[in-house]
Amino acid sequence: MDGEKKTYGGCEGPDAVYVKLILSDGHEFIVKKERALTSGTIKAMLSGPGQFAEKEADEVHFREIPSHVLSKVYALCMYFMYKVCYTNSSTEIPEFPVAPEIALELLMAANFLDC
Amino acid sequence: MASFPPRVNEKEIVRSRTIGELLAPAAPFDKKCGRENWTVAFAPDGSYFAWSQGHRTVKLVPWSQCLQNFLLHGTKNVTNSSSLRLQRQNSDGGQKNKPREHIIDCGDIVWSLAFGSSVPEKQSRCVNIEWHRFRFGQDQLLLATGLNNGRIKIWDVYTGKLLLNLVDHTEVVRDLTFAPDGSLILVSASRDKTLRVWDLKDDGNMMKVLRGHQNWVYSCAFSPDSSMLCSVGASKAVFLWNMDKYTMIRKLEGHHHDVVACDFSPDGALLATASYDTRVYIWDPHNGDILMEFGHLFPPPTPIFAGGANDRWVRSVSFSHDGLHVASLADDKMVRFWRIDEDYPVQVAPLSNGLCCAFSTDGSVLAAGTHDGSVYFWATPRQVPSLQHLCRMSIRRVMPTQEVQALPIPSKLLEFLSYRV
Repeated sequence: MDGEKKTYGGCEGPDAVYVKLILSDGHEFIVKKERALTSGTIKAMLSGPGQFAEKEADEVHFREIPSHVLSKVYALCMYFMYKVCYTNSSTEIPEFPVAPEIALELLMAANFLDC
Repeated sequence: MASFPPRVNEKEIVRSRTIGELLAPAAPFDKKCGRENWTVAFAPDGSYFAWSQGHRTVKLVPWSQCLQNFLLHGTKNVTNSSSLRLQRQNSDGGQKNKPREHIIDCGDIVWSLAFGSSVPEKQSRCVNIEWHRFRFGQDQLLLATGLNNGRIKIWDVYTGKLLLNLVDHTEVVRDLTFAPDGSLILVSASRDKTLRVWDLKDDGNMMKVLRGHQNWVYSCAFSPDSSMLCSVGASKAVFLWNMDKYTMIRKLEGHHHDVVACDFSPDGALLATASYDTRVYIWDPHNGDILMEFGHLFPPPTPIFAGGANDRWVRSVSFSHDGLHVASLADDKMVRFWRIDEDYPVQVAPLSNGLCCAFSTDGSVLAAGTHDGSVYFWATPRQVPSLQHLCRMSIRRVMPTQEVQALPIPSKLLEFLSYRV
């Protein structure tokens, strides 16, 4: 992360451009912070009054979410991009398809993340 | 009598942005009746808009060109008199790249319109209906027109030619709807108190008569999976039909006056009905529960007043494609846009003498037809839906309420999935 701080920013500090999402089995996702803040829960975890230990480094640990939910986390990140891209934009909002096989678990994740 | 709930400040409600209008050409003869635009319709692929101009004429307008005209020339777009005339002998309707405008003389007052798309298999001989020589091609688009004398004429949209003439209803065909699964099953609703089911792939053979209404049938709508049909009519009637067995599933009770319009949400989990009793109800069609009430008159009228001439009849209702918004049109000269989770409108637009409304295929525009044959267009309220709602629609497209109730998830999510929050 350090070598490329100039161009890409890092995951540490209050003005970090990226944030790391860590799943229960160690998988890590690095997502642009602006997009991850779409989730009310992640936003609260990153800025709340010390209740979550995530404030030091911009990492969020999801201790309950195992790796078989990977595809849903990917869908979540895609949704974050979709939301940021089309909110307050005058262009046509395209459809965001959700495959029925993952819809129920994705709903639970989206409910948890308030997005 | 107020148009909004007392806690809402009417001046704070956002006005919708006008996109354009199509003004009906002045009729050279008696203008007293026959001018009305009773139905507006968009083709399922968004290529055409059907404009019932009144006086027995329907104009098929290429939609993207029409939108471009609105943007280029401002909001007014008066029809030019030198538009393309219908060419009956021209059978090379293969110009899919550039949809052409067609003007169709239907021969009688047009009450209903519906587009249907076809995947035809063979050339067929028409039995029990007027013979017309025609060739099916790939990607054919049909327009069904329901007329004052009970006839239904089926037209080829790309060429403007008459394909079929369905004769069986004895009174005004007030609404038409195609099954959304591309099967070219057409359902017609008539003042003769019946609905009829036609198979246009089988030469327009009439498959079934649905009986049960005691009075005029005003409107009908298929559920998105084509398994259910809703029909609404005079004397408070709202019926749900099973379209595999053609039996009545249930009656939905609650309205106090004639019910004149109905529409399903895109996931089939909700049904909206509009009535002369000043209300739109949002129902769960799987169990008949009323989930939301959208009022157009405050304080809400007593049943006797609601059942009469209360000056606040709701004429039309349409569900948006995002499954979150509903548009309604009422006699108090306003079009209202609602969110399904709020009981007051999020946007309004002024409209006099409105009779019908429909969202465009991509949901970005609402069209409303009026008493003098004109059509007005507004931009619809759009917003990025929450991921929870997107998941809900994906689940509800395949799961009725009863199955949802059996899911092993927290009760708050159950409520959300059942559209009860």
